[in-house]
Amino acid sequence: MNDLNIQGTQSTPAITSQHGEGLLCMQGDSYPENSFEFFDPIIRWIETYLRQEQSPLRLELRLVYMNTSSVKAMMDIFDMLEEAHTAGRQVSVDWFYDPRNERVLDLADEFREDCTFPFQIAADAFVS
Amino acid sequence: MENIDLFSLREHFNNNRILLCFNGPISRSLIEEIGNALKNYLQAENVQPSSAMDVFSIYVELTQNIRHYAKTKGYGELESSATVVVAKDGEGHYLVQAGNLVDKSDGEALLGKIQALAGMDKAALKAAYKTQLRHPREEGVASGAGLGLIDVARKSSLPLNASLSHANEGRAFFSLRATI
Repeated sequence: MNDLNIQGTQSTPAITSQHGEGLLCMQGDSYPENSFEFFDPIIRWIETYLRQEQSPLRLELRLVYMNTSSVKAMMDIFDMLEEAHTAGRQVSVDWFYDPRNERVLDLADEFREDCTFPFQIAADAFVS
Repeated sequence: MENIDLFSLREHFNNNRILLCFNGPISRSLIEEIGNALKNYLQAENVQPSSAMDVFSIYVELTQNIRHYAKTKGYGELESSATVVVAKDGEGHYLVQAGNLVDKSDGEALLGKIQALAGMDKAALKAAYKTQLRHPREEGVASGAGLGLIDVARKSSLPLNASLSHANEGRAFFSLRATI
């Protein structure tokens, strides 16, 4: 399967995937006007991965600011992971945030409330 | 042409502690550029990163709402104009105020929505947010499907304040103020 390598912009995060490693990384701010268009290839990549591969899938996130339409698209992604988890697949999320900005922790934490798969939120040395 | 009195305009900005003001047709790239200027300003002012993000996020939601609305309505360039102000109140709170032309009936519906949000506490707002997040998206709607205003209310420290001013041709100017 193809991997994603989407350059980040001011309003969209950088996206990379390594299907051999079962890894999808997203980093940066996300506030495109049309979030569904932006997130569509990412959602399709995850769908394909879950269908074609049997190995675990891990999302490594360093997302900072997200507008509400990005939040909605992200919720769709987490719902897909939740469904896979319920079906017995190994899926997990690691969300790293800059400890100086607790809003990112709040954001990640609210997503986690609706997920039962392993969802780790950790302070990072990463500085945007 | 009448001479625009820049000095009194400047006095008006200063007296109202207006840091940033925009009036005119707003594009995707303008939202980003002004947003960037706002971020840099807040950083230079040593505003707490979490508060700076609240100001930034309210600015983005309100301006993107205006863009989406004008697009949905098929408004022309002039009607799509946004008026955006970021200011500080007397107590040092940041204010984001945004306004645009709307169909009068939409404006009235929006006022009702804002009044309902203004009456909700943080827990009720969170519940409304989560419900809306789970609400199926309408076909062809690219926006956050009604999440934006709830999010703005959640990030505000005071209830939202909205008003409607009469304009021509069945239109009204809708203005919304959020205090962070």
